[in-house]
Amino acid sequence: MSNISSDDVRAEVKKFWDFLSRKLKSQFAEMYLSSATVFAADARRMEPARLMLVRRERELLGPASSVAAKLGPIDVQPLGADLAIASYPFHLSITRTRASGKRYQSEVPSGRVTQVFRRDEKGVLRIIHEHMSSAEPVSTKELPPTDPLKHV
Amino acid sequence: MKNISSDDVHKEVHRFWAILSGNLTDKLEEMYSPTAIVFTGKAKRSESGKLMAVRRSRQIPGPAHSSRAEVGSIDVQIVGPDVAIAAYTYSFNTQKILANGSKVQINTLLGRATQIFQRGEDGALRIVHEHLSAAAPPAMEKAGE
Repeated sequence: MSNISSDDVRAEVKKFWDFLSRKLKSQFAEMYLSSATVFAADARRMEPARLMLVRRERELLGPASSVAAKLGPIDVQPLGADLAIASYPFHLSITRTRASGKRYQSEVPSGRVTQVFRRDEKGVLRIIHEHMSSAEPVSTKELPPTDPLKHV
Repeated sequence: MKNISSDDVHKEVHRFWAILSGNLTDKLEEMYSPTAIVFTGKAKRSESGKLMAVRRSRQIPGPAHSSRAEVGSIDVQIVGPDVAIAAYTYSFNTQKILANGSKVQINTLLGRATQIFQRGEDGALRIVHEHLSAAAPPAMEKAGE
């Protein structure tokens, strides 16, 4: 099998954000290996990716939520034939729906992410570890309730 | 060459914090690969690990100014014969001298760390990538003399 190239990793990073912004739940979940671990941007502790996926699906991938990201330059560090690290800054605008039904608009102006990709047994690059953070405080405001008539 | 082990990684993580706390005189920059990339504190962009280590070394307190680090449970994923990912939480309490000469105490209570180690040809583990962040901004207060 050929070594992982920087272009391969950059393509996976772009797929990751494309799946998230287009709310393609199963494709997005498949980006992670079952053993993957994650530091979410606002979390105090690391968690298994499968738990983070349940939360992101509920809060970010529903009909009243949205995600828009602008990515900065992606650094790629290959670590052998099957492993590579991607790290890059990003600007994120999200509309999140909490379990209570309330909606919040958040801006992450100076996001930073590290994603470690590993090739699985089928040769597909998948995330084994992710660390997201923000260099500046995230601004969040509550949105007014949506008018149900607009969704008829 | 011996495969990387979880114990090897634990030792290196604790050595890292012992150096940063001023409790060990090993050189911080030698913990980083020449090609290491790091995200630290409030930096908006990644930077060279070696450069950051040189800068951070200048801030390591002398014996008169104790720093204290507490590292939480370290999760180690061995992802290759010579590569491992360490992920953990930490708290770090240190002093910093500002440009105007005044001293401040900085308490990072909810620190989060990812450090990726690779064994080099000389057998030493080095950090090839680091991402340090905090779930809440560090608390700053004027330090006593």
